[in-house]
Amino acid sequence: MVLILAVAFAIGARGRSGPVTDAQRVKHIASEIRCPTCRNQSAAESDAAAAKAVRDEIDRRVRAGQSDGEIVAFMVSRYGSDILLKPEGSGVASLVWALPVVAVVVALFGLAVAFRRWRSRPGVDVSAEDRALVERELQREDA
Amino acid sequence: MSDVDLAVSRSRRHTARWAAISLGVVLLLFVAVLATRKSAADKQAESPLLGKQAPSLTGSGLDGSQVSLASMHGKWVVLNFMASWCVPCREEHPELVKFTQRHQVADDATVLGVIFDDTQPNVRRFFSELGGSWPVVDDPGGHTALDFGVRGPPESFLVDPNGFVVWKGIGQVNADGLDKLLRQGKARGA
Repeated sequence: MVLILAVAFAIGARGRSGPVTDAQRVKHIASEIRCPTCRNQSAAESDAAAAKAVRDEIDRRVRAGQSDGEIVAFMVSRYGSDILLKPEGSGVASLVWALPVVAVVVALFGLAVAFRRWRSRPGVDVSAEDRALVERELQREDA
Repeated sequence: MSDVDLAVSRSRRHTARWAAISLGVVLLLFVAVLATRKSAADKQAESPLLGKQAPSLTGSGLDGSQVSLASMHGKWVVLNFMASWCVPCREEHPELVKFTQRHQVADDATVLGVIFDDTQPNVRRFFSELGGSWPVVDDPGGHTALDFGVRGPPESFLVDPNGFVVWKGIGQVNADGLDKLLRQGKARGA
C-alpha cells in the first residue's frame, strides 16, 4: 500500500513539474500566447505566419536563457495583456475571475433571502364569507 | 375585477413602464456613445509602445539597400505595416502618397513601409501600380511586426523626430488625419 502511494505520488509530482526540454518550454509558453492574427487560437496551434514569428521569438529567448515569465512579459510589452489566452490575475483583468464568483455568491444570497421570505410568509386569514363560498362551490360540484 | 386584482394589474403596468423606460435610456446611451466616437482615421489604438522609444527597425528595402528607422531621426515618421493583398492598404495608399507630397518640400515627415506577410515582388508591383516612393522594409520572419505588436495590416505608428512612438492606428489612415496628429505633436513640442 505504501509502495503504491509512493509511486502514485511520484507520478503525480512528475506530472505537475513543468516542461523540461527547450522545445517543450517553447510549446508551453506559445500555448499561453494568443496568435496575433487569429481569433481564440494559441500561437502553439496556429499555422499563421504571425504565430510562427511568435514561436521563433519564444525559441530565441528560451535559448538566450530567459525565464518563462520574462518571455511572457516581453509579449505583453509589445501587444498588451490581451495577447494572453488566460487573463492576468491582477488589476482590472482580475475582474474576469472575480466577477463570476461574486455573481454566484450574490445569487445564492438572493435565493436564501427568497426562501426565507416564502417560509416566513404569514398564513392567509380566511373569513367566514370565504368559507361559505367554498362550501357552496363544493356542494354545487357534488350535485 | 376585485380591488386586489386591480392593484396587482396596476403594479404590473407600473413595473413594465419603468422597465421600458430603463431599457430606452440604456439604448439611447448606447446610440449616443456610438455616435460620438471618433472616426477610425485618427483614432488612437492602444499599444504598450505609446510614449516609449520605438523598437529598432532595420531591413532590406525594395531596391536592395539597407533601411533603418534610426536613419530617419529628426523627422516625423509614419511607420506603415502593409501588404499588397490587403484591400484597406490599397485604399489608404493614395492618402499616404498625398501625405508624402505635402511634406516633400519641408522634408519634416516621411513614410516608412513595412511588408507584412507578403513578398517583395508583390509589393514592388503594388508601388509601381499605385505610386509612392518612400522606403519599404521587408520583414520576412515577421519579427518587426512582432516588435511593434502588429496584428494585421494596415496598422500605422507615428514616430516623432526623437524616435518616440506617439500614436498607433489600426485600419486606414488619411493625409488630413496624419497632418492633424503632426500639428498636435508639434504643439506639444516634440
